[in-house]
Amino acid sequence: MASIARKNLFEDIPRFIVAQAGIVFAVSLVTIQVGILKGFTRSTALLIDQSSADLWVASKEMVHLELTSPIAAEKVVQAQKVPGVERAEALMIRSSVWRSDSGLITPVRIFGFDPDSRLFAGWAVSQGKLSAAKQPFSVLVDRSSLKNLGQTQLGEQGKIGTLPARIVGLSQDTQSIVSSIFIFTSLENANAYATAGLNTSVSCTRQTKGDLTCTNNFENAPLDGVAAPLTTPRSLSISDPISYVLVRAKAGQDLQQLKQRLEAALPNTRVYTQAEIADQTRVYWSDRTGVGFILSLGATVGFVVGMVIVGQILYSSVTDHVREFGTLKAMGASNWVIYSVILEQAMWMALLGYIPSMAFCLGLGAWTQTAKGIMILITPATAGGVFMLTVVMCVGSALFAVQKVTRVDPAIVFKA
Amino acid sequence: MTATQIDLLQSAGSASQANLSISAERTEVNAIVARGIEMIYQSGAERFRALKNIDLDVKRGDIQLLMGPSGSGKTTLLSILAGILTPTAGSVSLLGEEIFKLSGSKLAHFRLQNIGFIFQGFNLFPALTAIENVEVALNLKGIRKGAARQQALGLLDQVGLSQQAKRHPQDLSGGQKQRVAIARALAGNPRLIMADEPTAALDSHNGHAVIELLRNLAKEKGRTVLIVTHDPRIIDVADSVAYLEDGVLKAGAHR
Ligand SMILES: Nc1ncnc2c1ncn2[C@@H]1O[C@H](COP(=O)(O)OP(=O)(O)O)[C@@H](O)[C@H]1O
Ligand SMILES: [Mg+2]
Repeated sequence: MASIARKNLFEDIPRFIVAQAGIVFAVSLVTIQVGILKGFTRSTALLIDQSSADLWVASKEMVHLELTSPIAAEKVVQAQKVPGVERAEALMIRSSVWRSDSGLITPVRIFGFDPDSRLFAGWAVSQGKLSAAKQPFSVLVDRSSLKNLGQTQLGEQGKIGTLPARIVGLSQDTQSIVSSIFIFTSLENANAYATAGLNTSVSCTRQTKGDLTCTNNFENAPLDGVAAPLTTPRSLSISDPISYVLVRAKAGQDLQQLKQRLEAALPNTRVYTQAEIADQTRVYWSDRTGVGFILSLGATVGFVVGMVIVGQILYSSVTDHVREFGTLKAMGASNWVIYSVILEQAMWMALLGYIPSMAFCLGLGAWTQTAKGIMILITPATAGGVFMLTVVMCVGSALFAVQKVTRVDPAIVFKA
Repeated sequence: MTATQIDLLQSAGSASQANLSISAERTEVNAIVARGIEMIYQSGAERFRALKNIDLDVKRGDIQLLMGPSGSGKTTLLSILAGILTPTAGSVSLLGEEIFKLSGSKLAHFRLQNIGFIFQGFNLFPALTAIENVEVALNLKGIRKGAARQQALGLLDQVGLSQQAKRHPQDLSGGQKQRVAIARALAGNPRLIMADEPTAALDSHNGHAVIELLRNLAKEKGRTVLIVTHDPRIIDVADSVAYLEDGVLKAGAHR
C-alpha cells in the first residue's frame, strides 16, 4: 500500500511534533519510574549483592540489612568452628552523625568489616585503597555521597560523633537511595565511632538482701566538651556487639545444610543465603515502605497519559481522514486494509516516540547516577518491556481510533 | 413410459432452456438491474421513506443520468446501486450478480473488481501526490510497486495530467482534482463507473472538460456509467435519463 500511514503522519509537521513530544513525555515517565523503582530496589541490596559471603548469620529479629539487633562478636569464633565453614567474619553496622568542617551534620550508617578481606567489600574502589581503612579513624565513602557529607575530595577530614574521620578512599556503586550515607571502615574504627561521644559510668546500689545491682550508663558527652585524648581504637572483644557474621562455605558445601548447622550452633540467630537476605531487604523497601507502589503508580500514570495522547492524535487523524478512509472502503478495500493503515501509523508513532525517550532516559540516568547517586536502572529487559508497553499503548489507541471507520457512512463519503 | 409423458418431459426441458437464455440475455443487456428498492431512514422515532419502490435498468455501455432536485434521494439510490448502502427492501443485480446476496467481504471485493467511484468532493488523500492517489487504488486491486506506478502514470496521462503527477491535491485546481479522481476510478479497468455530482464543485469550463472525459472514457471501453447530477449540461452526453422526485423514480426517455 502506498505509504498512506507515513504520509498522513507527516502531513502536518507541527501536529506531529506535538504528538511525538507527548509520546516521548509519556514513555520517559514510564521508563523513569520503572528505572527508579529498579534502581531503588537494586540499591537497597547493593552491598549484599556485591559481597561474596555465602551465608549471613543475623539476629533472629533481623528485618532488613540495616535494621537488626546486635549479636555478640563471639559468634564469629563459634561460626568459624562449625564444620563446612571456611571463613567467618564480623560485619558491624551502626548509626552516627557526620560533621563536616563547615558545620554541616548528616546522618550516616557506618559499616565496620575487615578491609583485608573481600568477603563483605566486593565493590570497586574508584580512588584510594580499601586497605587504607585499617589506619585509625580512616574511612571510605561512596563517591556520589561526598557532596552530601559537605566534603569535596579524598584526604579531607570530618568528624563522626566526636572522633575524627579522614576520607581515604571512594567506593563506587555502593550507596542505597533510601538510607543514610554509608561510611566504610575497619571493625575497630567502627566500634570506636559507635561508642564515640558517650561517657560510660557504672553505678551500683546495694539491695536490702545484699545483692549488688549495677547499671551501665551511657551518656552523650557535651558537644563542645573537651575531646577525649585520641587513642588508637582497640580491637574488638568477644563481648562487643556486631550485626552479622559473614560466612564463606568450603567448596562443595550444601548451603541449606550448612545453614541448619550454623543455626543449631549459634542460638538465637537466623542464617540467610545471600539471595535470601538480598530479597528480604529489597522486598522490605519496595513493599513495606509503599515506595514500590508509588513508583508503579507513576509508571501507570505515564502509560495512561501516553495512551490518551496517542489515542487523541490517532483519533483526530482518523477523523480528519474519515472521508478518504470511507472512500477506500467504498472502493472495496477490506477493513483490514484500513486498520493496517491506522496500525502502521500507530507503530510509527510508537517507534518515533520510543527512540528519543530511551536516549533521553539513558542520558538522564547517567546524569542522576554521577551527580545525585540516584540510579535509574534501565536494563535491556526494562528497555524491551517499555518498548512492548509503548507498542501496546499505541496499538490500543489505534483500536480506539479504528471504530471511526468500521462502517462507511455514505453521507460522509458523498458529502459535497 | 408413454409417449405423452416423454413429450411432457421434452417440453419441460426446452422450457427451462428458454428460461436460461432469457436470464443470460438479461445480464447481457443490462449492467444494472434494480427491483423494488425501498429505503427508510430511521432517526430516533422518525421514519423517513427516502426511496419508494424503485425499478431501474441500465444497459451495458450506456451513460445513465439520474437527475432530480436536492433531497430527492439520488445519493441514496446511487449508494444502494453501488452496494454501499443496504436497502430496506428490494434487490440489485450488477453485471448479473445479486449483490445483496453476497457477504460483506465478497461485496467489497465485487466493488473493488467492478466499480470505479467519482465523488463531488473528489475524496483524494491530501497527503498523497496525484500519482500516489491513483497508485493506492491500484495497490488495493493487487497491482504493486513498479507496475502500479507505470499504470498510474498511464491513467494520469489519459486524463491529461501526467505533468501534474507529483503534485498534491492542494496544488491542483478543482477540475484537475476531479481528473485525478477519474484516473483513480479507472484504475484496474472497472466495468461500472458511478459518479455522484461529479461537476457540481466545478466551474462550467472544468465541468465540461470532466463530462467530455467521462464520455470518451466510457464509450471507448464500453463501460457503463451512472451519473447522479443536477447539471443539465450533462444531458447532451447521456444515453438515458431518469428523474427522481421525493423518492419516486420517473424513467425519462431513452435517447
Ligand atoms: N443517513 C440518513 N438519515 C436520515 N435521513 C437521511 C440520511 N441520508 C439521507 N437522508 C435523507 O434522505 C433524503 C434523500 O437524501 P439524498 O439521497 O442525499 O438526496 P440527494 O442526493 O438527492 O440530495 C433527504 O431528505 C435526506 O435528508
Ligand atoms: Mg446527493
